[in-house]
Amino acid sequence: MTLLSVRGLTKRFDGLTANSEISLDVEEGSLFAVIGPNGAGKTTFFNMVSGFLPSTAGSITFAGTDITTMRQDKIAAMGLIRTFQLVQMFQNMTVAENVEVGFHLKTRGGVGAALVRPPWLRRQEEDIRVKARELLDFVGLGAQADMDAGLLPYGQQRLLEVARAMAAGPRLLLLDEPAAGLNAHETDALADVIQHINGRGITVLLIEHDVGLVTRIAHRIAVLDFGCKIAEGTPDEIKKHPDVIAAYLGTETENA
Amino acid sequence: MTLPSSISTRLGQHGYLAVGGAILLGLLFVFVFVRGGYLLTVMQLAMIYGVFCIGLNFFMGYTGQASFGQNAFAALGGYGTAVLCVQYGWEPILALFASMAISGVASVVVGYPTLRLRGHYLAMATFALGLITYDISVQWQSVTQGYMGYSGIPPLGIGPFTVEDERWKLVVLMVIVLFGLWISGRLRNSRFGRALRAISTSELGASALGIRISHYKLAAFVIAALYASAAGSLFAHVVGFISPEVFGAQMVIVTFTMLYVGGVGTVLGPAIGAVIASLLPEIVRSTGRFQDIAYALVLILLLIYVPKGLSALFGIGRPRPAKTTNPGS
Amino acid sequence: MPSVVELVQSLVNGVGIGLVYGLIAIGFCVIYNASGIVNFAQGVFVMLGGMFAYSFLVTLKWPLALAAAASIIVVAGIGVLVQIFIIRPMWERKAPMFAIILATLAVQLLIEQIVILTMGDQPRTYPEFTLGGPLKLGPIAIGYQLFWVLGCGALMVVLLQLFFNKTRVGRALRACSQNREAAALLGIPVGGMLMLSFALSAGLGAAAGILITPTQYTAYSVGAPFGVNGFISAIIGGFGSAPAALAGGILLGVVQSAAIVVFGAGYKNVIALTVLLIVLLFFPKGLFGGLAKKH
Ligand SMILES: Nc1ncnc2c1ncn2[C@@H]1O[C@H](COP(=O)(O)OP(=O)(O)O)[C@@H](O)[C@H]1O
Ligand SMILES: [Mg+2]
Repeated sequence: MTLLSVRGLTKRFDGLTANSEISLDVEEGSLFAVIGPNGAGKTTFFNMVSGFLPSTAGSITFAGTDITTMRQDKIAAMGLIRTFQLVQMFQNMTVAENVEVGFHLKTRGGVGAALVRPPWLRRQEEDIRVKARELLDFVGLGAQADMDAGLLPYGQQRLLEVARAMAAGPRLLLLDEPAAGLNAHETDALADVIQHINGRGITVLLIEHDVGLVTRIAHRIAVLDFGCKIAEGTPDEIKKHPDVIAAYLGTETENA
Repeated sequence: MTLPSSISTRLGQHGYLAVGGAILLGLLFVFVFVRGGYLLTVMQLAMIYGVFCIGLNFFMGYTGQASFGQNAFAALGGYGTAVLCVQYGWEPILALFASMAISGVASVVVGYPTLRLRGHYLAMATFALGLITYDISVQWQSVTQGYMGYSGIPPLGIGPFTVEDERWKLVVLMVIVLFGLWISGRLRNSRFGRALRAISTSELGASALGIRISHYKLAAFVIAALYASAAGSLFAHVVGFISPEVFGAQMVIVTFTMLYVGGVGTVLGPAIGAVIASLLPEIVRSTGRFQDIAYALVLILLLIYVPKGLSALFGIGRPRPAKTTNPGS
Repeated sequence: MPSVVELVQSLVNGVGIGLVYGLIAIGFCVIYNASGIVNFAQGVFVMLGGMFAYSFLVTLKWPLALAAAASIIVVAGIGVLVQIFIIRPMWERKAPMFAIILATLAVQLLIEQIVILTMGDQPRTYPEFTLGGPLKLGPIAIGYQLFWVLGCGALMVVLLQLFFNKTRVGRALRACSQNREAAALLGIPVGGMLMLSFALSAGLGAAAGILITPTQYTAYSVGAPFGVNGFISAIIGGFGSAPAALAGGILLGVVQSAAIVVFGAGYKNVIALTVLLIVLLFFPKGLFGGLAKKH
């Protein structure tokens, strides 16, 4: 079943066309990657899909619902959760609290409940505390749970952001260059985490710069260049695709 | 000293500092009670400002938004109470709650459009709010009695029980502050409070997790307005007199000074800051103009050199570093 | 209903006060463009300009030109002091925007209280620059001071334009406003430019205060409303060029004067602030998106 379906998505900034008529389908349960050189329009694509940027033209359908003009928090509530290329830590909170914020959509209770603290709320708090621990262990940050999130080294902040997104119970997880700035060792750990997430049945849409990583873990890859989708296929097809080699892979083969 | 182990492990090092601080504060209050006189008034005002600051902390501290016009809601509370009690003979306690309700509605009406603004626009719009309220309180003489202000506002009380003794007034105010702190602490460590604090450092991150930013900002703004209104009403009942000057621009500076002294974004900070900042001018025995000057100077120095507030200097209220770090992971 | 005469009269008055707002607005823009800072204490310079002019003129009995010049220089000096001791340390520490705003508010309170201590809290005024008047055009009365305001205001804007376009320092200041990093790379002393912008805008504010005091009065508390009105004018003018800010000021002044005729003088600030809120709400990025562009 197709979970995310994008048709003719276009974004123009003043004179610049950052995304031009992009169409793609992401199958439920798959690990789909979008690659492309810097400035190709990948983040712009994510911003539109997740509701952070209005599109100029085109449509986005998620789980059968048209979300093209939906507010970002509603899109998130439908299970489309994203991370950012520039880490968005809640620096003033502990690592565990960061993940607890992630449970926002999966929990309830406002001011009144917080003051009265009825039994269901206490159970809920206890519940997310335990689950937050599990998620932190899952990404390998269990030992840092009580640390100030702002004090985490950069690589671990990226992992924390993934754990936090997982807390929101995504059906589709959008990861924007999660491996940017990580060393080889950290990248491997992250690849593991992403594959595990996908193994849990969560669809993953991944933006990545590191072609080696992508061809290793992705089921399907779309290639953007200058705002246009120039190719789409399995990793093997993409590696052989002449346009892709010309536009992008040619300069990266040493890394791959 | 032996504490039950569960408590002592939960307290941690900074917890002990907090307990120490609480004991110091307690001793201070005992001293004030025994001594009586002018210090009682000082502490009463400290408690009233404390209520204001606890509310401001919701918007400023937890949510990380700037409002330079919360004094507008203090004025609304003060005049609401004064008018209802003096003109219409309402029960003080009812007048206080009614004023809070009015302020709450007003803050929704004003906050809903205003909070869409950002940066300098938000700052100027909120600042304008305080100025508008000030001018109205001066000009609308038929209701506010203009520059002269309102006097003869009855003390707090319910039915036949009124709080007229200065020591009792302080006790009541302390109870109200503790209640305000309790609310603040409970809300801070809840789904609601976590959402606010998330917004304060990353609106992008928060909204990606499904937090509806505008709602939470508005909620924090309204809570701050409710506290401010209560503080305004309490001032009216405790002092018995209000005028436009009470809720003027210097209230903004004074309360921000308190918040910075105590620590922005911590639960106890606003109350501690209110007490310390109220006592400081007494220690140097300055009054009136010099007091305002002192506040402005202290605030400027804090903003330049200790932008996170004094409590950050001592590490109070900071999350603990991890007991064991595991860099290998 | 106010009569046509009343409305025309208020229009005339509005142009005068609006020019003053415009000068304050230019002050806002000069600092904002050089540093990204909005100095909420801008209005205090207006108050100080009037206060010093009063002291020199009335107390010390100096001649008008000398009193005005001295007052402008002293206030510009105060602006520099504010920049050196408060703004620059915060700027260098990359203090958050609202902390800097708060600091400028604290400066305003500080200066107001010092003025009360030294000059008292009574309003002060001094005679119009040219005695006599007002000029009668039928039922419309135009005070001579209005011509002084118009003349000096126009002169200052022309001088400013020349300064920004023709002098090396002025061009450097403009370069800073366009791209601070690039300006620094070109060897322009960005810190010095920030200081200059404070001197300039404080001086402008003082000039505005000196011009307007005879038609109204100055007192420790007039700063904040002037500051807010100047800010509104700057927004209407788009936080860009000096003439646009001036136009914004005149527009606001006229609207305000007309509103005074309808609602009464006591509410003039309430009206201005309501205009501010409306402008902000319906044009959340400013009329010309000036501030939002730079964040
Ligand atoms: N908000 C914006 N306004 C104007 N141009 C933008 C904006 N966001 C991105 N762009 C431009 O769109 C192009 C694509 O950017 P982006 O989507 O970030 O690329 P990528 O993520 O593939 O590196 C770039 O040229 C960038 O400068
Ligand atoms: Mg990108």
